Amino acid sequence: MRGEEGSDPFAEVNAPEFLARLVKGGAESQKAFGQLVRVTHDRFLAFVRRSLSSSDECQEVVQEMYLAVHKGLSKFEGKSKLTTWMYSLAHYKICDKLAEKDRAHQELTESNEAVLITGDYSDSFDPVTPWDASADHVLARSSVESLIVEAVKALPPLAREIYQLRDVDGLSGEDAAAVLEMPPVNVRVQLHRARKFIVRYVQEKMKDKSVQRGASRS
Amino acid sequence: MKDLFYVLYYPCDQIRDFAYDYLEGKLGLMTGLRFRQHLKGCPECQDYIRLYEMAADPKQFANENPIPPEFIDHTLKFLQEKGIVGEE
Ligand SMILES: [Zn+2]
Repeated sequence: MRGEEGSDPFAEVNAPEFLARLVKGGAESQKAFGQLVRVTHDRFLAFVRRSLSSSDECQEVVQEMYLAVHKGLSKFEGKSKLTTWMYSLAHYKICDKLAEKDRAHQELTESNEAVLITGDYSDSFDPVTPWDASADHVLARSSVESLIVEAVKALPPLAREIYQLRDVDGLSGEDAAAVLEMPPVNVRVQLHRARKFIVRYVQEKMKDKSVQRGASRS
Repeated sequence: MKDLFYVLYYPCDQIRDFAYDYLEGKLGLMTGLRFRQHLKGCPECQDYIRLYEMAADPKQFANENPIPPEFIDHTLKFLQEKGIVGEE
């Protein structure tokens, strides 16, 4: 059973003392910023790469996000967690990047609207090219776990972001809603649909596999 | 006979729509009881809920396509050049 709030993997940088070090200025702030990057970088890169397929673009977006953090720190009032704010910045940067690519932008807005209106995207399998798909680390395709990973790539962009924020990165419903600027109830509905989509995807693929096995036996 | 009663009492679709609240621990007492009774008598819904639980569990992403260390080095260098991060 899952609670609404998981333990915060970023607790170290979300502490008020840490924020104080970040805004203090001088060498102390530079040191704290380095620590912020070390603690958060890979999680944020993983978040970004679910929406963008090229590793150069992912790196660029993450760097721009850190620049925006640095620029906005003096105005950050600490009303949300530092990392929740960073997710919002990353979300904006992803949208900017997708807007640059006209087609992808259209896909984002249209599919978001369609999903919000109908809530049904069972036929819209549109896998994002796996990033660095040739790496040895890519999981074997046969297991349910790897089918789930595959299904997430086939989710529409908004649903994928919601799923990533809630189920992969463990943000609370409230925090995910703040990042995406939508009512928490929509996050809940979209997350449930995303999970149902994943289950259906896995079931279909498993059915295909058992049909294939049956055919190869006969 | 008892299991059949509960299968009929809540259709499978409805049971599957309770999956979210079930994972959040937010099913009411009676709904929770009926939910569990249905599962006892319905292997299809058992499979469904098991997969739903897996879909909601981030474990399978733990080893997915890890980030090569060059990426963080690159970002740190970029921020050092801008004077945002101090030199090591
Ligand atoms: Zn059932």
